[in-house]
Amino acid sequence: MQNKKYGEYGGQYVAESLMSVLAELETAYNEAINDPKFIEEYNYYLKEYVGRETPLYFAEKLSKKYGTKIYLKREDLNHTGAHKINNVIGQILLAKRMGKKKVIAETGAGQHGVATATGAALFDMECTVFMGEEDMERQALNVFRMEMLGTKVECVKSGSRTLKDATNEAIRTWAKNAEDTFYIIGSAVGPHPYPQMVKEFQKVISVETKKQILEKEGRLPDCVLACVGGGSNSIGMFAEFIDEKDVELIGVEAAGFGIETGKHASAFASGKAGVLHGMRSYLLQNEDGNIQIASSISAGLDYPGVGPEHAYLHDSGRATYVSITDDEAMQALRELCREEGIIPAIESAHALAYAFKKAKTMTEDQIMVVNLSGRGDKDVHTIAEYFKDK
Amino acid sequence: MNRIEKRMEELQNKNEKAFVTYMTAGLPDMEGTKALIKAQAEAGIDIIELGIPFSDPTADGPVIQDASYRSICKGTNLKGVFAAVEEVRKDCDVPLVFMMYYNTILYYGVDAFARKCAEVGVDGLIIPDLPKEEQFELVEALDNTENAPILIQLVAPVSADRIPMILENARGYVYCVSSMGVTGQAAHFHKNVRKYLENVKAVSKIPVMMGFGIRTAEDVAGLKDTIDGCIVGTHFIELMEENNYNLDVAKEYIRKFKKELNA
Repeated sequence: MQNKKYGEYGGQYVAESLMSVLAELETAYNEAINDPKFIEEYNYYLKEYVGRETPLYFAEKLSKKYGTKIYLKREDLNHTGAHKINNVIGQILLAKRMGKKKVIAETGAGQHGVATATGAALFDMECTVFMGEEDMERQALNVFRMEMLGTKVECVKSGSRTLKDATNEAIRTWAKNAEDTFYIIGSAVGPHPYPQMVKEFQKVISVETKKQILEKEGRLPDCVLACVGGGSNSIGMFAEFIDEKDVELIGVEAAGFGIETGKHASAFASGKAGVLHGMRSYLLQNEDGNIQIASSISAGLDYPGVGPEHAYLHDSGRATYVSITDDEAMQALRELCREEGIIPAIESAHALAYAFKKAKTMTEDQIMVVNLSGRGDKDVHTIAEYFKDK
Repeated sequence: MNRIEKRMEELQNKNEKAFVTYMTAGLPDMEGTKALIKAQAEAGIDIIELGIPFSDPTADGPVIQDASYRSICKGTNLKGVFAAVEEVRKDCDVPLVFMMYYNTILYYGVDAFARKCAEVGVDGLIIPDLPKEEQFELVEALDNTENAPILIQLVAPVSADRIPMILENARGYVYCVSSMGVTGQAAHFHKNVRKYLENVKAVSKIPVMMGFGIRTAEDVAGLKDTIDGCIVGTHFIELMEENNYNLDVAKEYIRKFKKELNA
């Protein structure tokens, strides 16, 4: 990372009124992560409250079926049901350290919203979560959970009424109230230092995975896979392996109804970079340079951009990005339920679907790790609707 | 000489304040936009900021968001606005500033954009999501283009130590955002607005303009000694919407505002 950028990606494309806020945040963040006390406190809550470390589970039946060793990193077993809480604990401790009393967040699937609402309850912060109207319908259970936790869920009715617009509204509110409000971004997106910060607080996924796989197999995996919306669980899974050149990194985007239909959420498929939500990265855009609405059965992957470090890893060739359709993801979801007794989040099912394809090209003694970023409880309604017509 | 700088110099010589309005391009339609530009010029507006609608206007409040959305739905795009400006320029010399988001420029191509602005006669650019640190690419393109528009610099109530850095090489005018947040929060200025404006005025070699939340000349009456003029955006859009884009209403509003501002 140089000059707040990953190659040409990232940066701080925000209103002037936020520049000093970002500078203050960057200073506080750098001090915090270099303070052993802060790290100790972060690790304490990850262990005692979130329930880490999460298991690296050897999926025996799937491994046998596909002829290669398949491990699942069980982020779905975290408190609140997904990896999102790792980052929230980090950012909310930072907010507390900075003396902020209010936190705001955006949410798509609602997992980041629930995690933020949880952290806010734990640390006595006033919390508002912005959520698109369409997502509120798709993820009604998570809306209820947030409200149970004492959070105000702000319904966003502008634009596509999904994560993109919820993020716009969170940015507007932040610009207005930055003097006493901390914005907890849930994905590896936004202006610097957010992508870096989210990676730092999610890298625990790959730190643990590396240690666990060395214990179990005595060597590093041949490849690691994770789904990519904005890219927080994937950057967390990649972090410790980026410098391990023999480990293949695979990010799986949502192809929605199929890339060729135009109704998808694959920022890389568009092949064009632009500026949105404070960062420069690959974006879905139309012929006028307006941001195009993403489409995916999974609310958590329904985002028209991707984190700037992923853009950099993509261009440098260090990581490979592929995409999986709604149908493929739902088949993989059902397969994991039936084979291993685990109901994954639809987001994570995208990574699984590609993992099954990839596994067929691998040998018996090769190893893959799939990040199971969340559990499917929140999705049962969507899953039921989907299979009703099949 | 750039039309903005020329106008500012004329005002300074007459010891008058500048009055600037913002309008979303493409509303009520592109013909109506052209007519409204000309009508405002007739009424003596000093500068017009023309908003190029973008799908994700994060620096704008509900009124301008809604205007942008409706304009996009009517098919407004950058190419269409360039064509409209070219047409207006045939018989209208009012200084024009594009207010737009950076992605629209990136998509068009930074160099091509600079050239096209110069060609059709765009005088200035305001890009709310392009802070000083990210301007190098665009500045390079503008520097390499003859008659390129001026990149107007924005400062905010919390800019503080950043003000001298932002204003180095600034031209045209400084756009002082009067409150934190987005456009259109009715006359709710930042608590230390006077001190902040005085700070900017002390550093600035060019006219200091205040915007965000202004509706009438009375809103800025108490600050006239520190500013060189003001900008009305959201309120002007509301006024036009309420009056069906009646050009006489626009003219009357501008004449009255200018008169009171310079009373």
